Amino acid sequence: MIILFLLPAGILILLVFGVPLIRYSWLSMHAASVVTGLDNIPNGGANWIRLLNDMRFWKDAWQTVRFASFSVSLEVFLAILIALLLHQKWKGRGILRSISLLPWALPTTVMALGWRWIFNTPYGPIEKIINFMGLNPLNILSNPKLTWLSTVLGDVWKTTPFLALILLAGLQTIPDDLYEAFRLEGGKPFQAFLKISLPLLKPYLFLGVIFRLAQAFGVFDLIQVMTGGGPAGSTESLALYAYLNAMRFLDFGYSATIMLASFILLVCACALSWVLIYQSKNIYRVYNS
Amino acid sequence: MSLTLENIGRRINKNWIIKGLNLHVAKGECLALLGPSGCGKSSTLRLIAGLDKPDEGTIKINHKDVTNISPVNRRIGMVFQSYALYPHLNVADNLSLGLRIRGVPVSEQKKRVNNALGLMQIESLFKRFPSELSGGQRQRVALARAILRDPKVYLLDEPMSNLDAQLREELRPELRNLILKGGQPVVYVTHDQHEAMAMANRIAVLKNGRLEQIGTPENLYAKPSSIFVASFIGRPQMNIFPDKSGLIKAIRPEDLKFSNNGLKCNLVHKEWLGSSQLLLLDSQNGLLRLLCGSEESIPEEIYINWSSEKEHYFDSNTGKRIDKSRQ
Repeated sequence: MIILFLLPAGILILLVFGVPLIRYSWLSMHAASVVTGLDNIPNGGANWIRLLNDMRFWKDAWQTVRFASFSVSLEVFLAILIALLLHQKWKGRGILRSISLLPWALPTTVMALGWRWIFNTPYGPIEKIINFMGLNPLNILSNPKLTWLSTVLGDVWKTTPFLALILLAGLQTIPDDLYEAFRLEGGKPFQAFLKISLPLLKPYLFLGVIFRLAQAFGVFDLIQVMTGGGPAGSTESLALYAYLNAMRFLDFGYSATIMLASFILLVCACALSWVLIYQSKNIYRVYNS
Repeated sequence: MSLTLENIGRRINKNWIIKGLNLHVAKGECLALLGPSGCGKSSTLRLIAGLDKPDEGTIKINHKDVTNISPVNRRIGMVFQSYALYPHLNVADNLSLGLRIRGVPVSEQKKRVNNALGLMQIESLFKRFPSELSGGQRQRVALARAILRDPKVYLLDEPMSNLDAQLREELRPELRNLILKGGQPVVYVTHDQHEAMAMANRIAVLKNGRLEQIGTPENLYAKPSSIFVASFIGRPQMNIFPDKSGLIKAIRPEDLKFSNNGLKCNLVHKEWLGSSQLLLLDSQNGLLRLLCGSEESIPEEIYINWSSEKEHYFDSNTGKRIDKSRQ
């Protein structure tokens, strides 16, 4: 009976998730490019062997992991602070709650263009300030050491409100009297955060991190608009590389292989975050059993 | 050990939710704060615990002013209505968390936790999580946590309201024994007059944040100081109706008797309650409640009467009690 009720959702997930996954797996085992006349010719895993030897793939994989881990950890940290702030009772928090969501509501391409202008050399405000202070220009968008950080900043700015909203919802499920009981026993506010809020937020934290990881590992529009993958390919993500293979080089077999590899990376990252969030040792345990 | 509230007032914005409240709870005494919801009884408890600050007045524990002392230093053993057990910790950790953060050594923690578990007879539950406990077991854990605190004052906020009636009756004597054994003053908040009478040495009836009457259960029952108290204490409710003299007259349902002459009534409704039966009667004084033994046969033509000694009189304007001797 339960299975019957799960069926509609199950079929939907299978259609939008399972079918493309199977199709990509199948495609990754075929040569399907402009060279083959767009016919699918089995090539016995040659795409995968190419992938393993493709330095551009490994570089992009590293850059994607770097982008995702930096932006998601920074977002988690900021989102916790913002959620705690918006959870306090004070006048005007309703308005601030709405305003804080604005960056998230903005289309990525629009805000990416905005950031591109802010980071522009020499006309952007940041370089103007640098110039005013009499320092050498940073050339943010053309300095491989800095550009990836600016994409992280753009991503953090846009998606922190989303995480903060999920965590705020989580905070609101924690009854006040837990904190009051803790206070009566001598708990300080920071201890209350560590021993009550954080453990009880875990399911929300995990949900938010999974959402964010999935988006960050597939980041495309932000990079495409802000840097186009440059300079010197230093911000190119796996999604961008897969897009180039499919749409510019018309090599669909290899593009599917890259997407699939990116998916495997994402699954590993999600598993790792599960371990970090749920398996962290409960430091408040006396009776470890 | 004692607890004293002197002229306590608390307001939210411009509304005084508690005003001019004076209470004294002696060593080993259980005082029930009784009243309808919104009367300020839970707010009073929060003030005593130190979770809120009074806007005026002083709170003393053992004759020492604690009004500006932090909750932890007041050493309060509190049981919340919801029990407030930490859902992510098992029973043993729920009990020991407070000890841990106060820096009690681990060996001492274990000793005290085991002691409290034993006292509440829940040793076997120590590894369970709150979600795996029944309502009664949760209540025991919450109580164990309060006992573990070695408090100077016990505060119980509707501790039984989440339990079913049978369990409540079972737990009452046990709870009384446990919390009164230590000799600490106990403040017991409830909206259930029956529970207040069963648990408390004295009852303070609150209305709109003001003390309406305080006294022993017997005293409140025999001499309610106002119409409010008269209607709040005792079930079934007192019969209250205007008298010819311009006063308000009240009489308890069990004090009404069948007789051959007197007030003529029609039977409207009958509730058979096992040991007694409750009759709802229509009379020239309005609807009256009459409580009689379940064995008693109800006459076809009902005339009722009562002893004038059982009458209570209240002023029709102020609602205050008027003693007949002073009339």
